[in-house]
Amino acid sequence: MTNTTANKVMNKVMNKLQIMLLLLISTILLIPNANAALYVTIVQGLGGLPEYDDKFADQAQKIYDASITLADASHVTSMAGDDATRSALLIHFQNLAESMNEDDRAAIYLVGHGSYDGEQYKFNISGPDITDADLAEILESFPGQNHFLVNTSSTSGAILDGLESDQRVIITATRNGNEKNATEFGNYFAAALASDIADINKNNNVSIQEAFDFAERSVAEFFESSGKLATEHPQIRGEGAASFSLARVEPLATSDENPRINAFISRRLELDTEIESLQLRRNEFSNVEYIQNLQALILESAEISEQIDSLREGTQANVQ
Amino acid sequence: MFNRPNNTYSFYDLAAPVLASVSVSIAAEVARPTAIVLLAVLPSIASHSTFARDHLYGAIDNQSLLQCETLNWAGQLLEAAACYSGLHNREQTSQIRAEAFWAQGDLQNANTQFQDAIKRFPEDPMVRVRWGELFIDSYQYSEAYTLFGEALEIDPENSWAHIGAASALSEGGDPEVLNQHLNKVMEEGLAPHGAKLRAMMMVIRSLLRQDRYQEAERSLEEAFEFAEDESLATMELKALRASYEFMTRGDYQVWIDASLEESPGYGDAWFIPGYHATIIRRYEEAGDFFKEAVTLQPDHWEAHIYLGQNYLRLNDINDAIRHVNISYDGNAFNPMTVNLLRLLDTFTEDFVSITYPDPPEGPLPELVVKLHKEERDVLKNYARKLSEDSIDVYTERYRFEPKEPIIVEIYPNHEDFVVRSIGMPGVGILGVTFGYLFAMDSPTGHPDQRYHWGTTLWHEMAHVFTLKATGNLVPRWFSEGISVYEEWRTGPIPGRKIPTNVLQAMAEDKFLPIAVLDDGFMRPNYDGQVIVSYMQAGLIFDFIDLEYGFDKIVDMLYLFNEDITPVAAIEQVLGISDSEFDRHFKQFIDIEYGPLLNGLGVWMEDMRAGYEALQAEKWEEAAAAAERAVFTYPDYVENDSPYIVMARAYEKLDNKEEEFQALQTFWQKGGYLPAALLSLADYYLERKMNSEAEAVLMDTSYADPFIEDLHVKLGDLYMDTQRPAKALEEFEVLLALDPLDKASANYRIANAYNALDNDEKTMEYLMTALDIAPQFRPAQQLLLEMSRTSN
Repeated sequence: MTNTTANKVMNKVMNKLQIMLLLLISTILLIPNANAALYVTIVQGLGGLPEYDDKFADQAQKIYDASITLADASHVTSMAGDDATRSALLIHFQNLAESMNEDDRAAIYLVGHGSYDGEQYKFNISGPDITDADLAEILESFPGQNHFLVNTSSTSGAILDGLESDQRVIITATRNGNEKNATEFGNYFAAALASDIADINKNNNVSIQEAFDFAERSVAEFFESSGKLATEHPQIRGEGAASFSLARVEPLATSDENPRINAFISRRLELDTEIESLQLRRNEFSNVEYIQNLQALILESAEISEQIDSLREGTQANVQ
Repeated sequence: MFNRPNNTYSFYDLAAPVLASVSVSIAAEVARPTAIVLLAVLPSIASHSTFARDHLYGAIDNQSLLQCETLNWAGQLLEAAACYSGLHNREQTSQIRAEAFWAQGDLQNANTQFQDAIKRFPEDPMVRVRWGELFIDSYQYSEAYTLFGEALEIDPENSWAHIGAASALSEGGDPEVLNQHLNKVMEEGLAPHGAKLRAMMMVIRSLLRQDRYQEAERSLEEAFEFAEDESLATMELKALRASYEFMTRGDYQVWIDASLEESPGYGDAWFIPGYHATIIRRYEEAGDFFKEAVTLQPDHWEAHIYLGQNYLRLNDINDAIRHVNISYDGNAFNPMTVNLLRLLDTFTEDFVSITYPDPPEGPLPELVVKLHKEERDVLKNYARKLSEDSIDVYTERYRFEPKEPIIVEIYPNHEDFVVRSIGMPGVGILGVTFGYLFAMDSPTGHPDQRYHWGTTLWHEMAHVFTLKATGNLVPRWFSEGISVYEEWRTGPIPGRKIPTNVLQAMAEDKFLPIAVLDDGFMRPNYDGQVIVSYMQAGLIFDFIDLEYGFDKIVDMLYLFNEDITPVAAIEQVLGISDSEFDRHFKQFIDIEYGPLLNGLGVWMEDMRAGYEALQAEKWEEAAAAAERAVFTYPDYVENDSPYIVMARAYEKLDNKEEEFQALQTFWQKGGYLPAALLSLADYYLERKMNSEAEAVLMDTSYADPFIEDLHVKLGDLYMDTQRPAKALEEFEVLLALDPLDKASANYRIANAYNALDNDEKTMEYLMTALDIAPQFRPAQQLLLEMSRTSN
């Protein structure tokens, strides 16, 4: 390519990329501490009908399977049926809060039905229900920040105002407490975690934002294709959804027995950080400079990946 | 009783609702693949005179007012204005003051005076009648009807109230009640002569509207005789006679002249024939009439709006805007004006025109595709291909070379499309052809996957050829029949598609004789008859093609240029009488559908059993029932086809071969359910049957091009078969759909450009993909390749 051609390309690419800046800023602002632990709690509410029980169980299972790709299995708790009473939940969260430190993060999934009487939201479980006030208390009890709660129930939007905070990400299936129909959102949110379908930045992780984007669009398409009036409008509040991973699509290679591969992996991780940093600082560069820098970093990363693959193939060949 | 908000058609019928039924039937049949359309939908008016204020015809006998009326209708407008102004004083009653204000176009003051008159003369039914007429002039038909009702409570025999009520109901009310009111006037021996003449003119309008020309002629003669005997004004009657003459190719000008001789300033002398010209799709002549109307009477706001809409039909957007604006400035209450103004805003701001050939090969394009800017990049290639393919097919088959650019407008908002076509929303049509221009719904106007936009485009394009090859003189059923027949023979999803309700009608022997087939479109007398008529007309051409050869169809078509009737065309070209034709056609139907019709009940039972078994998850039972249904009627490929039941059942039974066979047969017979076609495409791709996969995927795009996965599959297939230019088109559509996975879409485009050796574009899209997803390995690898190549 000539320089002129390259410049033209850079300018065009830059125009397209401006729009992504905000998303990336939020990605990088809240990169979690590598030593932080993720604690996941999945609460499966009452279905009322076998059809819903099956659906909720399926969703809860998908979420569990996705969660253990990222979190230590001992940190992932599923509660359902008679085990998921209000008192049991309150005790669980109290224990959890006590065991977490400032760097740890909590992710809570509420899968089930909800109700809202105009004043109080309730998530339907065995015995007395969990209320919006309970949820607020639970979230407040966690040390540190960067916690996450998704509520897939009908009327779940009623909790938004009470729980909204910069310190956490809240997702609800509905816009407010008036959307009372059983929801579809949970199906799609769980599906987003169960494969790479929602991994739009191809980093092999599914973030909260990616899962939400996928589920939100899928819900809209569901209502549009079935010719029905949309009875739910998913909502997301809070900061850091793009940097909070919920599932890993492929196992992460962070080390290798081969020291050469290990060195390459370390360098590639550094490059990932440099790319993120460059994207955050893109306004400091001209369009051409930005693309040239990005290209250089990605080229190096690509070459390293190629060498890692080559070394691994060699190892496998030797083994064979 | 009064349902205007849901039904904006104004046409009444003495026997049955006309277009109201048509619209309902068509809306109910949107699910059908066949593009059920109105060849030309007619605007609503003409139930009452469209002149700002009707002639009184003796409704009021106040001498002072009548003097002004005489001056007015004699065309002495300045003198009339002075005369009406003289009636504003307090010496006149409130009602007369109201009439004077109304005659001068001051509806607000007229309304105030009528309110006052009601207070002063609460027991006078004529105050309410005249106030009701004022409401009709301001398009408030429900309020008008209430006032006529109140007048009838005071005087149940008041003919003026009955004719007013009939007028109000003609704007979307119950036709049965309308006819009761009308009959009260027509049959009442003591009815005032003027009221009776108005009733007679309503009947004439209805007859003209329904192409019942012989009855219209008789009614006109009776009305003239009556008016002359009773010394009533006849300028409106003469305008109707001019309409009749125009519609039957007679000398209309002499009647317009006669009307103007009686009332020199009477814009309706031109406007009324203009309106009737639109009914028979003679839009160019209609425009000439409307222009004369506004020249003679510049404050004829209704004529301005019809002229504006007519310009839209003829693709003269600037003149359309000008006249719609004039109409709005003169009368902001006309809902049609307001609707068209809104539409024109959308049209000018949100629509883009794409002309072909590109680059131009002459002073005029051959094809103009107008699309909403948000749909342009998705639809343009498919709309172009369908349009160009259909133009090629029809040019050859119908021996007609288009003389002007053909304009295709595709609307994502159904109501915009309907307003563009007929001025008012709320009607279930899919496409309308005006000549060289047609408008239709985009697939996004029908998100439930049952609308096949490709077929609609194909159907409408056939109308362009049949209309223009005959100077718009082709009979309605003939043009519709050819369009349906072409859908089946040459359209994007060939094969006859007969809905269940039409089969039922065939079983009940409800097909009409060919001589009166237009009645099925114009005067349906049972639910769904319009659809039955479409199918019958399509089958007629299938029959003629098979029995006599396709050329005979074209020979018959061109005879309409010579102003011949369909019956005469059949006699001349096929050499048989219409009754013989009907007999032969019946035999054809018996041969083609007899066995099915005899077993229709069993087929429907098997269909039902299949679906019930499917719902009950009894897969083997479902498959068996569907197979029985297929055996009885193997060509049924609507979206509830038994092939779909079979495919679902075999999928659940994990019998992939049977599922594949069911889907393949469904597609080969013209089935178009997008989800089913995509599944079939997967099977073909798995089996390396690339050409079949490509054909299925292209067919899917004509059913619903807004499916991301479709373009991924088709683009990838083109790449795999070394056709990067075509792949690029698909991937660009993919990106235009704003997919969630933009990195992959950009990467695919980069790959296609790379295959086309366009480094600049490759890099542009590749870096976009990598900026979204820096760790996207395939994109990284392409970057590496490019880097190494350039070094």
